[in-house]
Amino acid sequence: MRAVSGAETIGRTMAIRIVLLSIAAVFVAPSVQGQVELGGYVLTDSRARLEDGKLLWNENRLKLDLNASPTSEAHVFSEFWIRGFGASEAATTRDLMGLDKRKSNPWDLVLREAYVDLYGFFTPDLDLRIGRQRIAWGTADKINPTDNLNPDDLEDIWDFGRHLGTNSVLAQYYLGDVTLSAVFTPGFTPATLPPPDWAAALSTPIALPGGVEPSNVSDELDMPVNTLREAASVAVKIARPVLNYDLSLSYLTGRSDFPVPMRVVLAPVDSNSVNIHSTLVYPRMSVVGADLSGAIRTVGVWAEIAVFFPEAVYTTVDMSALGLGQQEVASLPDEHFARYVIGGDYTFAGGLYINAQFIHGFAHELGRDCLHNYVVAGLEKKLRNDTVKVTAAAAVEIPDSAHPGDNYAIIGMPEIAYYPSDNSEIACGVRVIGEKGQTSFGQLAEMDEGYIAFKYAF
Amino acid sequence: MRGTLLLMVMPWLLFGSVAKAQDTEGLPTLDILRRSDLVVNAPQDQEFTLSMILIDKKGKEKTREAKIWQKGADMRMVKFTSPADQEGIGFLDLPDDLMYVYLPAFKKVRRIASHVKNESFAGTDFTYDDMATINYSEEYDPELLGADTTKCLVLEDKEGKAEWVSKELKHYRLELTPKAGMKKDYSKLIIWIRSDNFYQTRIEYYDQRGNLWKIQEKRKIKEVDGYWTAMEVEMSDLAKNHKTRNMIAEIAFDQGLTDKFFTQRQLKRRPK
Repeated sequence: MRAVSGAETIGRTMAIRIVLLSIAAVFVAPSVQGQVELGGYVLTDSRARLEDGKLLWNENRLKLDLNASPTSEAHVFSEFWIRGFGASEAATTRDLMGLDKRKSNPWDLVLREAYVDLYGFFTPDLDLRIGRQRIAWGTADKINPTDNLNPDDLEDIWDFGRHLGTNSVLAQYYLGDVTLSAVFTPGFTPATLPPPDWAAALSTPIALPGGVEPSNVSDELDMPVNTLREAASVAVKIARPVLNYDLSLSYLTGRSDFPVPMRVVLAPVDSNSVNIHSTLVYPRMSVVGADLSGAIRTVGVWAEIAVFFPEAVYTTVDMSALGLGQQEVASLPDEHFARYVIGGDYTFAGGLYINAQFIHGFAHELGRDCLHNYVVAGLEKKLRNDTVKVTAAAAVEIPDSAHPGDNYAIIGMPEIAYYPSDNSEIACGVRVIGEKGQTSFGQLAEMDEGYIAFKYAF
Repeated sequence: MRGTLLLMVMPWLLFGSVAKAQDTEGLPTLDILRRSDLVVNAPQDQEFTLSMILIDKKGKEKTREAKIWQKGADMRMVKFTSPADQEGIGFLDLPDDLMYVYLPAFKKVRRIASHVKNESFAGTDFTYDDMATINYSEEYDPELLGADTTKCLVLEDKEGKAEWVSKELKHYRLELTPKAGMKKDYSKLIIWIRSDNFYQTRIEYYDQRGNLWKIQEKRKIKEVDGYWTAMEVEMSDLAKNHKTRNMIAEIAFDQGLTDKFFTQRQLKRRPK
């Protein structure tokens, strides 16, 4: 966990006060009452490693939504997360003495979204959404190759599809059954990554000379210059029904939200180990996307593809301190690559629901040679008048389709959820991983976990 | 995510309207059913707020509330306003089995296929298929079983005050079996139709083995803006020993809703 400066602490304290004052104002100010609605949920999520009981995740989240519709042509929305997260970071008694309790009892405040909708702006068929927002594109289920407007939020690796909000302008023009969308995001926001225990699943192992082990691994991010030319992204989409299917085509130009190594320096520590320092960049790329959803008879089907045209990144591996000179390798070749998803769902008589998807390429996989194949399937059944839901989901990762038996990872995710009353949910389950060879999720094989979560909406 | 969409029901169809009473003695059976269908679909459009009370076998109740807009028989939009964990969920039903759901937590409108038609919605005892069976005369072959009298609540004026009074009213009793090629969960229906206004007051649903499965009762039938309307509809699932009582809080007819209202654009908007 990183250290927090005094200024940052003051900033956080101010921020939470502003949020709480805003919420209090909703209840106090008579002129606002009846216009602003407050909602959200309380979530407690605890996860422990099956092997030794190590607490892997300990989150208590208060989600607050504020909605206001001052006129029929405007709507204001904001979403905050106030969270207690992780274990105490107190290292000295001084950490226990301060007025700020973050060291002894870590907490966090996140502004997920804050935007204004303007309906019928300028012309009756144009809607604008301005502010921090989540713009979800794509028809597949949670894994959406065309969903590149907001950076991925991979803080929780099991919460597939979570993204960060960005400060953007979204314009949507409705022309009959055609919808035209345009998005402008002036700044660049990188994806967030999982905690170190899980981050291994998303990183590429570094090949070292024989007999050499890494000692200290560090990196630095070479962020884009904060100018419109370097940091902005622009996207457009056209959507319309064709032959009983909903189709859309999209184009985005911006940057990858995942970094790629541009320079790696190896420095010897002793005869058997080296320090490794990497410099990472966020390459420019354009994305052409297409998706469809519909039905074949009574079976729901969807497909989505995104073709990425990246700026090439060549990595300089500097081993001169080892007497091995420099090498240059193409981490991200100057060639397009495609991620796609094909899926379907069906409900059998009796209410058994099945959902299955074939996925080529995960969000963090950049470059044609890095794309793995995944098959994800889930069964779901509600029981006892919908007060109990049993889910059995599984995913298989196959990096090399030609030799699926040599490298694979299988993830099992059974869960049972109980709904004792409206708005409340208690869920528990396990996530277990079996693997063979080299896979992304196989690197989490030591992280089999059990979890229990309680959620109450208000 | 999709799994969560599947357990939602569309009970609003069960509220309709009927034409004025007329002499119906000697009507052919099919005409009785056609007239009943016509009066149920009489309004150009309707807009109402609905409370759905789910009652389990122990009598424990859960309530869902929604705003519903409907145009003709096959365009409707539902937006849940409570409970909190369902607030903002919207459902759009269009002709040709086009169905969409909006889930505010995911900021997405999703297409859903017709495999959900036999599923319940929001845990109620109504299914998509219950909803879709508005024009019974187009999907079922009727047979007249007889005419009998059944008690109904009728709104009467008592000393200047409207009161619900129980009265014996004459009904046609029809057995409906699916037309050839119609795939239904039910082997037959038995339907009670009031002879004075052709309003359907009770429907019995039988499973494929011929056992009585569900019973729908429409109560508190009154005239609103010239249309007969059931202010309360109850569906009982005898197999689950569970029932859902739907009650209209407010209703307005013929508000001039256009096709443009029944779009994904409108579905995403938060109801006022």
